[in-house]
Amino acid sequence: MKFLIQVIAIFLLSYILEMFLPWYSLALAAFAVGYLLKSRVNFLAGFIAIGALWFFQAWMIDSRGASDLAGKVALIFPVKEKIWLMTITTFLGALVGGFAALTGALLRKPLKRRVYY
Amino acid sequence: MKVFKFLLSFLITAALIYLLDHSWIVKGNRLPPLGKFLDPFHGFWQNIEPKSDSSHTEPLNIPGLKEPVTIVFDSLMIPHIFANNDEDLYLAQGYITARHRLWQMEIQTHAAAGRVSEIVGSIALESDRASRRLGMVYGAEKALTGMMKNPTTKMMVEKYTEGVNAYINSLEDKDLPFEYKLLDYKPEPWTTFKCALLLKNMAKTLCMGDKDMEMTNALTLYGKDIVDLLYPDREPVGDPIVDNTNGWKFKPIAFDTVPRAIPNELINVKKIPPSDPTTGSNNWAVSGSKTATGAPILCGDPHLNLSLPSLWYVVQLHAPGTNAMGASLPGSPAIIIGFTDSVAWSVTNAQRDLVDWYAIEFENSKRDKYMLDGKWTATKKVVEQFNVRGAEIFYDTVVYTHWGPVTYDETFQEKNNRKQHAFRWMAHDESEELMTFYKLNRAKNYKDYSEALNHYSTPPQNFVFAAASGDIAMRIQGKFPIRRLYEGKFVLDGSKTSNGWQAYIPNDQNVQYKNPARGFVSSANQYPVDATYPYYVTGVSFEAYRNRRINAVLTASDSITVNDMMKLQNDNFNLKASESLPVFLSLLDTTHLTPEEAEAYKILKSWNYINDKDSPGAAYYEAWWNNLMPLTWDELEKNQVTLSRPTTYNTIRLIKEKPDLSFFDIAGTPEKETARDVIRKAFALGVQDIREWETKEGKDARWGAYKDSYIGHLLRLEPLSVHVLAGGNRDIVNAHSKTHGPSWRMIVSLEKSGAKAWGVYPGGQSGNPGSAHYVDMLDSWVAGKYYPMLFMHKSDAPPTTTSLQLNPESK
Repeated sequence: MKFLIQVIAIFLLSYILEMFLPWYSLALAAFAVGYLLKSRVNFLAGFIAIGALWFFQAWMIDSRGASDLAGKVALIFPVKEKIWLMTITTFLGALVGGFAALTGALLRKPLKRRVYY
Repeated sequence: MKVFKFLLSFLITAALIYLLDHSWIVKGNRLPPLGKFLDPFHGFWQNIEPKSDSSHTEPLNIPGLKEPVTIVFDSLMIPHIFANNDEDLYLAQGYITARHRLWQMEIQTHAAAGRVSEIVGSIALESDRASRRLGMVYGAEKALTGMMKNPTTKMMVEKYTEGVNAYINSLEDKDLPFEYKLLDYKPEPWTTFKCALLLKNMAKTLCMGDKDMEMTNALTLYGKDIVDLLYPDREPVGDPIVDNTNGWKFKPIAFDTVPRAIPNELINVKKIPPSDPTTGSNNWAVSGSKTATGAPILCGDPHLNLSLPSLWYVVQLHAPGTNAMGASLPGSPAIIIGFTDSVAWSVTNAQRDLVDWYAIEFENSKRDKYMLDGKWTATKKVVEQFNVRGAEIFYDTVVYTHWGPVTYDETFQEKNNRKQHAFRWMAHDESEELMTFYKLNRAKNYKDYSEALNHYSTPPQNFVFAAASGDIAMRIQGKFPIRRLYEGKFVLDGSKTSNGWQAYIPNDQNVQYKNPARGFVSSANQYPVDATYPYYVTGVSFEAYRNRRINAVLTASDSITVNDMMKLQNDNFNLKASESLPVFLSLLDTTHLTPEEAEAYKILKSWNYINDKDSPGAAYYEAWWNNLMPLTWDELEKNQVTLSRPTTYNTIRLIKEKPDLSFFDIAGTPEKETARDVIRKAFALGVQDIREWETKEGKDARWGAYKDSYIGHLLRLEPLSVHVLAGGNRDIVNAHSKTHGPSWRMIVSLEKSGAKAWGVYPGGQSGNPGSAHYVDMLDSWVAGKYYPMLFMHKSDAPPTTTSLQLNPESK
């Protein structure tokens, strides 16, 4: 349950931050939520939340798109297929999100223990 | 331990962000910053426009506007701009053009200024050096001075610039055009100087070519008779643009001519490639006496390198005193080729020689001084700085003389020459071309057109004209130096100022006529004028086929309709093949053909000389021709000095008339070949090329597929380019070769009830590859179809349009 809340929180917060701030603001969101709503698998939460966010946003834009620019970019890179470009997009966002959430959670642990021990 | 884990995780996160936020070079290719670029909220995904685009409807506040401006977009995304004054009109044009074409505008001016290496790195350094060494910046500075002297052109470029900057300032990172994201850089502020650079870029395409060094070398190597035979100023062919034999009644300006010493030199430079010399254009106007409606019809199709984003941007500009529509150049105010309520005009390139090279005698190798009129005169050294991306700053010293820059020297594309040469180019002179377009955009009749053209210098153009009142006209307008016989064909002596251009042909003595008896005017880059015109005319090359085909069709036609004109612009009849193929075939010994060659022979024999996309005959003919040219002129290429090939027309003429000419002997073979042997060899090679192509592609060769035309993206990125199956070729009215062709086709019927126009170009209004309007006109263009142009008279938006309101910024 905590895990799910954490995923949703990262998803929403980074969605809001990305409206106004550069792409790496997603790390701030994941970091903050990782710190505040720590779960047992923080990396996974950040990874899934940002991966989902980036995947859905890219997929929505592409499916409503007037042109297959994503397909062309896939050829420029070259990763041949659009599906690979989506995968890379999802994975890179997810990776940063995962590490940022983990970092946030790890910041909390030592502090907590210092208080209790 | 925990602290260590935290630090490790923190460092990984930070390193990842850093890595993904920066651009890296991997295996020689620059990768965009992956995080930034792939982020669906800011990266390239944001450049994918939605199918239903409603973003145009919100009113915008634009700084600098005096009054509100309404812009109506039609279904092709052509903006129809309605302003209440000229200032707002050009500001809005700048704004809206930037909105669709900003990246293209900037990269083209960077190319002119020799600054592309700042964006793409050392790969562009040599071409950047070439731009600087041709004095493009020097020419643009002069052009800007000219623009600023005239209050009208000053207003135009200043307001246009304000509009472009209003757009640039409104951009957030996510809105940046795709190419900025891919190459990871940002637009810089637009300036009036960039408008000047853009016009110089056009001049470079259209009037920077010359053959002075090549002709000098040919003269030294082969003598005058061979030069006259291979490179005549005037080929014995067809119709000049204006045939007014014995009708030139003015008194020409003449010089007390001193016989000119032609330097006896062999020059070895690797010339900066001018644009494809077979690039050309067509335009014509037929008088009402030859049309079905009785209204004059004007047609124009400029042929240029076909690229994406498209070269032209179609726009309608409406303000008190002006209502014009047509093709504009992104980066320049006003409409360049178009029509108003009552007139239409179009241009083809005049091809005249506006370049001279002057041999310079330096005092010593320091090149601080050179001989001019008996005195050692100081040179000016300009140190050009290149901020090459990902490399050290590169400095290049360019020596300027009285004539212009010394383009080629020991540091740049030159080898062991006795002398260096200074570049004199008409486009280095101050001028005010924009005034021509300002006035043409407001022209009502022949007098206005004529007056507008008086402001025009470079690049010289054949301006065709038609008016609803019934007039049709042609004028070859530019600033042409008055040349003595052979002057400008060869390298000149740069030690005397008297060898320079001393006077220019007065505007009223330029080649022109109005309402000729034949009922039409036309131009297709051919030789401009009949032999009785009193001035010496020379050029890089003049066209020999399209013009005759156009004139033959127009002469034979009556009750001409717009549809007929569409057919003629898309005409694929290969006049060159009809004149040369029967000769080639008659020279083939058909008893010694391989089975494949016999098959090719049969196809060619029954071919109708039409370069349609499905034609096998056209494929065989062109493959044959493509081998014949290099094989014939192989000795020119084997020379250690700079030479150029004779023209297509002259090559065919020599095959017919002088088959024993020594040039037909293939260098490096023991036999003595004649034209017959060269034709036989080229035929075998051509058939072989086709066979190889067919094996590779797994299908029979048809012209369109074999030609494989493509519209290439300016960054030469294959996935952003488009290949098309199309007919035509160079020397054909539908002049669509592999890479060049009609970059805008326009037909205007000037009816009393108002101008009606049709147009199409190989691309689309948007420069964004993620837009529905990136190449939406391309299929129609390939198929020879046109769009009726929506020429509006007031800003009430008809259905199928969207409109955008631009308001002055509230104070």
